[in-house]
Amino acid sequence: MIVPNLANTALFKCIVYFHDGESRTFYSLDKSHKRAKPNEALGIRRLEKMLMIRFRGTWETAIIYENLPKGKEIAKYKNGIRVL
Amino acid sequence: MNTNDTAPLRPHYDFGSIFKATKVFIDRYNEQHDRLTERLNANHRATAELITRLYAQQLNKAISLGEDVSTSLPGFKTFNPSLASCKGCTVRTIINHKERLKASGFIIKEIHRGKTGIELWINPQIFAPKKMSTHHVDMQPVLEQIQAVSEHKVKNLPPLVHEQQEQKNNNSSVDTLITPKKGVRLSAHSAKNNSVTGTGHEQDMNTRESRTSDSKKQTRGAKKSSQKESESAFLLQLVRDFWSYAKLVLFAELLLSEPEEKEILNNIWASVYRKFKIKGSKEDWKGYQDILYKRVDMVARYLERNPNRWIAPPHLYFHPENKRNGFNKTYEWFIRQELLKKSIRNQILIQNTEKEWEDHNQGKGRHKHKSRLQLFRIQQQRLSTFKDDALLRAYEKSLQRTLLKPATK
Repeated sequence: MIVPNLANTALFKCIVYFHDGESRTFYSLDKSHKRAKPNEALGIRRLEKMLMIRFRGTWETAIIYENLPKGKEIAKYKNGIRVL
Repeated sequence: MNTNDTAPLRPHYDFGSIFKATKVFIDRYNEQHDRLTERLNANHRATAELITRLYAQQLNKAISLGEDVSTSLPGFKTFNPSLASCKGCTVRTIINHKERLKASGFIIKEIHRGKTGIELWINPQIFAPKKMSTHHVDMQPVLEQIQAVSEHKVKNLPPLVHEQQEQKNNNSSVDTLITPKKGVRLSAHSAKNNSVTGTGHEQDMNTRESRTSDSKKQTRGAKKSSQKESESAFLLQLVRDFWSYAKLVLFAELLLSEPEEKEILNNIWASVYRKFKIKGSKEDWKGYQDILYKRVDMVARYLERNPNRWIAPPHLYFHPENKRNGFNKTYEWFIRQELLKKSIRNQILIQNTEKEWEDHNQGKGRHKHKSRLQLFRIQQQRLSTFKDDALLRAYEKSLQRTLLKPATK
């Protein structure tokens, strides 16, 4: 699903710090289909799945934040283990 | 008669004179047009008369309310469906009739006001602005003038439909179709409500009624609502308690964020508690909660027995659509377990009774001094306290086994 303007519409963002020193920000896809009501839990689960399956073993730290200015921390992962 | 000499009276639209004016107008028009497609037939005439009658009612009401109609008349405010129901025909017929009446010049202007209906202006030959009271005498010269003109110009053809019949039809349909009952949508032209702003008044009445009913509900249901709130709070607390227990026992190491927990609670509410659609007392729900805790314990034991066993993550485990490996399946486990427990209990009780009979036959035990009947009564009473038919049936069988044995020997 191609979502335009994801950075502004997503409910959560995930900042991943990779082993090679790179860091990237990913935004959550919160809808089960195009016209669905955004589901917070779904967005978080998808980010977690991305970390645990797609980028498995390639990152050191990953933090999921609310996609807001001064958004609070939702979850934190270190070396594949959830710590928050 | 000079009306200016007398004290200013309230002007009044007399139905009789207006009807006559309408009739004269339509007759004159028909006499001027020979083609049937242009003429106004009896049905058009009936619609025109209906409009004049209702318009006169509206105007008289407006005048009585103090509205000034001396300079210009307000339009006839109505709805097509209201007219249709008054006349007993379809809306389309009313629209067609209006078209014909517009073509004839009876209706001079029409404005559609969407939700608030339509507004019609009738030819000033029939409805003219009045300054003073107008008796039928005032109308007479006009009528005479019209009649005189018409007589001069064309032949005096017989009317298309007999007048009396026409009027009778109109009246009958109007009287029978207006239903000012509660719950039925009132016609815009009900007999009691004749104001110019007929519909506005009606809406006002409706809103007032609904407001009072609302307020009644509020006062009456104040206690009920507070009761309901406390009840729902109790029920939601059950959901939270269940989740905290299940999390502790089944998902102890799982870290979850707030939105995730919320989703799980919603799933539990929907699947485990069935959205609380089944009505029950607090005690019933507490009993159900105990059963749920037992089911969670059963799942925990199931997981303990083998390290390869697993359960789905909580958002799936408690999902209402999960028919495959969800928590709801544990209800069957629970039922099976309870049945098993019962049958074991029954077996133990029957064994005890058989032992007592054996002791009694040998002259031993607590009941050695009692007769066989007394022992039977004691045992029957004891077993009937369990209120289990299966147990009593098993007891009968065991009696047959134990008591008939010596007789055969």
